[in-house]
Amino acid sequence: MLRFDWRDYLDRAIRLWRGSLQLRTVALTLVLSALAVTLIGGYVVTSVRGNLFDQYRDQALAEAARAIAAAQDEFTDADSSGTTDDLDLVQRAAFRAIAAVISSDPMVAMLRVPGQSGQAPVIDQVTGAFSRSMVSATMRQTLLEAEQDVAAWQPISLPAEGGPDDPGLIVGSTLRLPQSQLYELYIVYNLRSVQSTLDFVQGSLALAGIALVLLIGAVSYLVVRLVIGPVRIAAEASEKLAAGELESRLPEGGDDELATLARSFNRMADSLQRQIRQLADLSTVQQRFVSDVSHELRTPLTTIRLAGDVLYDQRDAFPPATARTAELLHAQTERFELLLSDLLEMSRYDAGAVHLELEPTNLVRLAEDAIERVQPLADEKGTEIRLIAPGGYFEAEVDARRIRRVLQNLLGNAIDHGEARPIDVYVDSNSDTVALAVRDHGIGMTADDLGHVFDRFWRADPSRQRSTGGTGLGLAIALEDAAVHGGVLEVWSEAGTGSCFRLTIPRRRGEPLGVSPLGLPPEEAA
Amino acid sequence: MFSCSATLVPTMNARILVVDDDSAISEMIGIVLRAEGFEPTFAADGQAALTAFRDTTPDLVLLDLMLPGIDGIEVCERIRAESGVPIIMLTAKSDTTDVVRGLESGADDYVVKPFNPKELVARVRTRLRPTPEAESETVAIGDLVIDVAGHEVRRGATKIPLTPLEFQLLLALATKPQQVFTREMLLEQVWGYHYKADTRLVNVHVQRLRAKVEHDPDNPRIVTTVRGVGYRAGAVT
Repeated sequence: MLRFDWRDYLDRAIRLWRGSLQLRTVALTLVLSALAVTLIGGYVVTSVRGNLFDQYRDQALAEAARAIAAAQDEFTDADSSGTTDDLDLVQRAAFRAIAAVISSDPMVAMLRVPGQSGQAPVIDQVTGAFSRSMVSATMRQTLLEAEQDVAAWQPISLPAEGGPDDPGLIVGSTLRLPQSQLYELYIVYNLRSVQSTLDFVQGSLALAGIALVLLIGAVSYLVVRLVIGPVRIAAEASEKLAAGELESRLPEGGDDELATLARSFNRMADSLQRQIRQLADLSTVQQRFVSDVSHELRTPLTTIRLAGDVLYDQRDAFPPATARTAELLHAQTERFELLLSDLLEMSRYDAGAVHLELEPTNLVRLAEDAIERVQPLADEKGTEIRLIAPGGYFEAEVDARRIRRVLQNLLGNAIDHGEARPIDVYVDSNSDTVALAVRDHGIGMTADDLGHVFDRFWRADPSRQRSTGGTGLGLAIALEDAAVHGGVLEVWSEAGTGSCFRLTIPRRRGEPLGVSPLGLPPEEAA
Repeated sequence: MFSCSATLVPTMNARILVVDDDSAISEMIGIVLRAEGFEPTFAADGQAALTAFRDTTPDLVLLDLMLPGIDGIEVCERIRAESGVPIIMLTAKSDTTDVVRGLESGADDYVVKPFNPKELVARVRTRLRPTPEAESETVAIGDLVIDVAGHEVRRGATKIPLTPLEFQLLLALATKPQQVFTREMLLEQVWGYHYKADTRLVNVHVQRLRAKVEHDPDNPRIVTTVRGVGYRAGAVT
């Protein structure tokens, strides 16, 4: 579970990074300036440290040399003046001399060089917290091999209370005591004060560095905002424009590049708005035309229909030729009416003037209804229609009238081309999509025909007896009915085997079309 | 204030006012109606229609909505304001807004041009059909009492004026108080449609009925909606 979490955060972080120019710029500036400040600061600290230590060391060495010389003088004077009995006093004097020279209170140690013959004239003396461990082997060796009056020195670590070791400096030389006794003289400086100075410098630099980086960050943020601000406003305005708010514009001001951008954007938006208004107006004009044509054509047609029907009802009273005339008139008037109706429907689709009346509909019942309506035609041809709907939830938000019309059209075509073999109607659904399919086992279509089947006024075989009296627009309208629901109407066919038309629509309005729950053609159970 | 016609009208000699601005259609409808035994009278525009209505007091009005001068909708409203006479709209436009407007203005039913003459005759006969006899003399619904024979609806002592169609609708619901009527059932029983017809007819008329009988039309108690199914009579109080 934890693993999943950080990947999620990572995704979000990446998205945030990619989505904000401002964030990228400021972050980059901060990182680079932090790097630069760190490098420069590091260099400064290193050189300051080196310098500080060098200075102190040189000073200490010089001081130590004087101190050692002073101590040696004490012993040399004592030797030459013959007062060699109380060398302890001389030793104390030497220590005092050293203390007089070196004001910083170092640790001093006077140790007899081991391996000498004779008795030790004075005892080893140390001050402070000196310990023999402070003298390394190399130090001792260097010291013993050195010429007189040359001091050996070495940086060391001094243990400190409650913290890391202090840096220290040990300086050593040999002392010649009377009777050629050699002693080692060590002076140990504690460089804690130097260290603390350095620490202070480091701390100040670090603080200054951080402050500088933050300042740079703030400055870059402000600068970026100056530039990104207008860009973001432009992006938002574009978004609004794309979403359909045709009035969104950018504030124009100034003469710089951003102002030029604003002006161009506004001009483009004006042009778009104008075009869209024109198209909308055109569409309204077309819609009104369709509506007016509808009314105008229907008026004379009403009279023709009424007259034709009256004659048709009385045809038994006419002589045969007149009776036949009445029949033809009746049939063709009906055909004209259907054609007009279909043409007007097609015009409505073309003008974009279609209003869907959606309601939750049970599709199985809708299919049953459609089958019932075409039953007379099917019976005439001796065709059996079977409904195959496996159990499921068949409610969908559709315009019942249109879907029923599609089904009736598909069934009519199936009866026409089905060669009296059974027709299967499938209804199926999944969680977000529903499908209806009409499968016939009749004459089928060639691949060429398939390409034209949805064309307006196209018939597979013009000479074919059309008992359903179709107008040639049925499939074209069915295609539009499917599209207006956000779905599709697809066809499969094999010459000699049959055809299958499948309607797939989303269960709820506005949702994207999912995978069709029915195959094309669906698998046959029997 | 008007009273519903309480007399049983013999449909054979019913007077029908035909209002249409197209003379050919009017004449043709006249021929069809006469063949069925009705007595048609004609008017070609709104003003003439109102005059003819007042003069001839027809038993039914066939009204085209697209009229010059006074609009068909307005004619319908004015006639409805004076009388409960059945009005059937004739319209070339089957768009929702037009149909609903027509129904809301007072029409009981509508026929779309061009129409089958048999269809028209069937609609006319249904509207002229006398109210079927109920088992009891009075039926209660909500806080109303329906006098079946007298074709009256009262709340206490106050009479509520309803058109014959609204009366039939209310009665249908009231005589079977437990029954939930689907829109299809109501279309069949009250309008005489035996196939899947326009359910907007039911919707609009239920709304009109509610506007007349309910204390609060937005919270109906007398004609209640059963969601996803239809309508039912409210409990007797």
